[in-house]
Amino acid sequence: MRGSDYVVKRVLFAIGTVFVAVTLNFVLFRSLSGDAVSALRCRTCTQDFKEFQRRELGLDKSKWEQYKIYLVDLAHGDMGRSLRTEEPVRSILWEPIKNTLPMVALGTLFSIVFGIATGVIAAWRRGTAADKGALWGGLAFYSMAPQWLGLVIVLYLAGWLGLPTSGVKDPTLGILSDPSAIEVVVDRLEHMILPALTLGLVIFGQYTLIVRSAMLETLGEDYVLTSRAKGLSNWATVWKHGFRNAMLPVITLVALSLGFIIGGAITVEYVFSYPGIGLLIVEAIDQRDYPVLQAAFLLLTLSVILFNLLADLLYFRLDPRVTE
Amino acid sequence: MSAPLLEVQDLNVWFDLPNGNTLHAVQGVSFSIRPGTRLGMVGESGCGKTTTVLALMGLLPPTSSVSGRILLDGTDVLAGGEQTISPHRWRDVAMVFQGAMNAFDPVKRIGEQIAEPMELHKQVSGKEASARVRELLDIVGIAPNRARSYPHELSGGMRQRAAIAMALACSPRVLLADEPTTALDVMVQAQILDLLTHLSDELGLALVFVTHDLPIVAQTCTHAAVMYAGRIVEQGPTDALYHETRHPYTRLLWAATPDLESRDDVVSIPGVPPRLDHDIEGCPFAPRCDRAQARCVTERPELRSMGPGHVSACHFAESLAAVS
Amino acid sequence: MSPVQTGAPPAEEAPPTRSLALRTLASPILREPSALVALAVLAFFVFLAVASPLLVGDDPKAQVGEVFEPPSRELPLGTDGGGANMVSMLVAGAQISLLIGFAAALISAVIGGTVGILSGFFGGRTDTVLMRLTDYFLVIPDVPLMIVIAALFGRSTWNIALIIGVIYWTFTARLIRAQTKSVRERVYVQRARALGARNSRLVLRHVLPQVTPLLIANTVLLIAYAIFAETFITFLGLGDPTAISWGRLIENAFKDDAIINEAWWAIIPPGLCVMFVVLACTILGQALEDALNPRLRTGHLSVRRFRVLPSPRRQEP
Repeated sequence: MRGSDYVVKRVLFAIGTVFVAVTLNFVLFRSLSGDAVSALRCRTCTQDFKEFQRRELGLDKSKWEQYKIYLVDLAHGDMGRSLRTEEPVRSILWEPIKNTLPMVALGTLFSIVFGIATGVIAAWRRGTAADKGALWGGLAFYSMAPQWLGLVIVLYLAGWLGLPTSGVKDPTLGILSDPSAIEVVVDRLEHMILPALTLGLVIFGQYTLIVRSAMLETLGEDYVLTSRAKGLSNWATVWKHGFRNAMLPVITLVALSLGFIIGGAITVEYVFSYPGIGLLIVEAIDQRDYPVLQAAFLLLTLSVILFNLLADLLYFRLDPRVTE
Repeated sequence: MSAPLLEVQDLNVWFDLPNGNTLHAVQGVSFSIRPGTRLGMVGESGCGKTTTVLALMGLLPPTSSVSGRILLDGTDVLAGGEQTISPHRWRDVAMVFQGAMNAFDPVKRIGEQIAEPMELHKQVSGKEASARVRELLDIVGIAPNRARSYPHELSGGMRQRAAIAMALACSPRVLLADEPTTALDVMVQAQILDLLTHLSDELGLALVFVTHDLPIVAQTCTHAAVMYAGRIVEQGPTDALYHETRHPYTRLLWAATPDLESRDDVVSIPGVPPRLDHDIEGCPFAPRCDRAQARCVTERPELRSMGPGHVSACHFAESLAAVS
Repeated sequence: MSPVQTGAPPAEEAPPTRSLALRTLASPILREPSALVALAVLAFFVFLAVASPLLVGDDPKAQVGEVFEPPSRELPLGTDGGGANMVSMLVAGAQISLLIGFAAALISAVIGGTVGILSGFFGGRTDTVLMRLTDYFLVIPDVPLMIVIAALFGRSTWNIALIIGVIYWTFTARLIRAQTKSVRERVYVQRARALGARNSRLVLRHVLPQVTPLLIANTVLLIAYAIFAETFITFLGLGDPTAISWGRLIENAFKDDAIINEAWWAIIPPGLCVMFVVLACTILGQALEDALNPRLRTGHLSVRRFRVLPSPRRQEP
């Protein structure tokens, strides 16, 4: 198989990064061991109780010991218990993940579609008003703080479109009768659209820029001139030769902007009170629920690493020149 | 004597410059080609030879203006601009570009790309097209099974041949080759030149060969046109240009090429060609000419007949005969 | 494959002078109208930030009217959720937001620039090690990391700036590394090396002047990122509680239920300010980078075709 060593290299790198992420996670959170306990909010906490908690959380052992325990626990999927509710973190994360994933996926889809459309138009009609419009539009949206855009959308757009602006489902659904599967899906979608749209709008601008310059660069390549010389029309040339080549950098860019996407998702969920991982993180910060925060952060980091790996492999599949 | 296949009459090309001026890149170029003719266009970089051949295919950018006539089988194809030229692209006149290494789309196989113009113009497809692709590869000396290779999997020389195969796809009658052997090593160069000569002899293909390398022209071409500052300064059968050089520039070009057997010093031509963004008074070569006189600076020399099919633009062309 | 050739042979590269470096920065700005506008906008906000104490007096947070009072002649942008003058809040906010933005970008530039130059200049093991480090850093999502570190460590303005700066150095590092590598291969550097110049001299006199314009261009872009990041952090409640920044103003609007009160004057202006500054930095930085990383490609597709002029009748020779 072509370049199987490339695949192996990337997977190994991903594993290495996972290791770094896990360790970083540990270092970040454990270094506040003392704070975590002393920040426990309980009205009747005595010193003894705090000592007990400390031992429970293993904070009395050496850092190295703690590290090993951490790794073992993690391998078993044990991410501790919420300081607030005593529930195992693992079960707290489940619902929010189910909510966040489709919303972020939808938002990313919006951004890719908007970005490619505007980028292609801008390159295609280079120098004309359409080019300037697409660029400025993309840039303007890209310069908006996501929470601000979210607020503006809630203020002006939501009422007009009749879309809900908080939560993930209609609380009245299912009270009078069993909702059908379609009704549930539609309901979920309705709640997802505004946050996803906000996310998509805030992000697409940088794709516009990249698609445009990738397109322009591609269009300046000799094989495009050759294609025109062979008699293909502008449109056919773009479609058959320009597109594929120009889209390759987009994959890389999406992978690189994952951090920004997640940041945007967190703020957007906060604005729209959308009960996903983002909102969970915000609440955990507010309540100093460090185990939850730590687990959520680790989860996010691991997802990003995974997606980067997938993006790498996808790029590899699409570009036959990648061999090393 | 067969009628001229391709005749260029008084071709002029101007480019709009960002500062508002125009660059007069091609100035009054005329030549005619019969089947089996191999015309070499020689000159330093910037003399207008590439622009001339691009004009023949109508591949000039929107910042350019063209005047003159391009007669294909007696009909002016330039008159209607894109409309009249595009039907002839690849079918009557095809081109092998400078740096043909990049003429291929990196993400598609070369067989596909060679077949592309066939499918577009001649409506052959599928099995017929594949068969013809293999035939073409065979003609240029590439193993037919390489049709499934990607461009980066071929060596430079092979890619050049593949580019030639692609150019022949629709059986054109005129092949334009822009520096097809630059950036190839000497052995491969020789092979390509042999191939082109062979194609011309066997298929009656007319060749316009753009290069800065005069010895190649001497080796391969039946006729030569020497260009300087956008104009043809000497033109005629290669033999005549070699044995009866009638222009100081041509003479210097011959002298500038190192001769393994001679003990003479290599002569280089000092100075640089003139800028073409304003009109030039007198002979454009005068500043660098070793035989320039007062007349050369004020009066522009016109092309004058020096013999059958041999013209030169120099006031003192006849006196040159004594020297060489 | 440019059809436009002027016929002049490439000049031998000479080492750049300081004035040349400045000129390479100035000319793309002066030539491009949008970049000029961007510079003007940025200058305006910088002025606001610097002059802020003079413009708003002692306490911009002082209550001057009812909560969420709509705009009027005395209060052009009304009041916020605490009854304070929105205009004062905005101007005060400019100071902190821009300060954080510039400081963070500077930190990033210094770290990233150093790593990039070291990596690009020395190559070999230094390069590999540094780039590995960068690679690992790059994969970890930036915004969540910032949020977490801010949550854990610090809520002061300087901490925030530091955090943002430390996170973003990787982008600069890669860019500067590439540029350093290409400069290292240039003729005059090789020559200086052959003459026995020490590394430090090579870096200071040859590499640095060539790399600095690009570094500046990149830093301008980073300012945009940094201001953005600040709004993220503040919005999630992690900012300095005593500092007024635009991010804080947006957060206030949210927390104080400006939406329910339909107080658009409390919501829209701070976000607009952020948008304008970020936009200005992006345009400026992009214009600079584009000019310094020339990609002079002419597109081979054209909407309009070449023009055909009527032939003047001429005698054949």
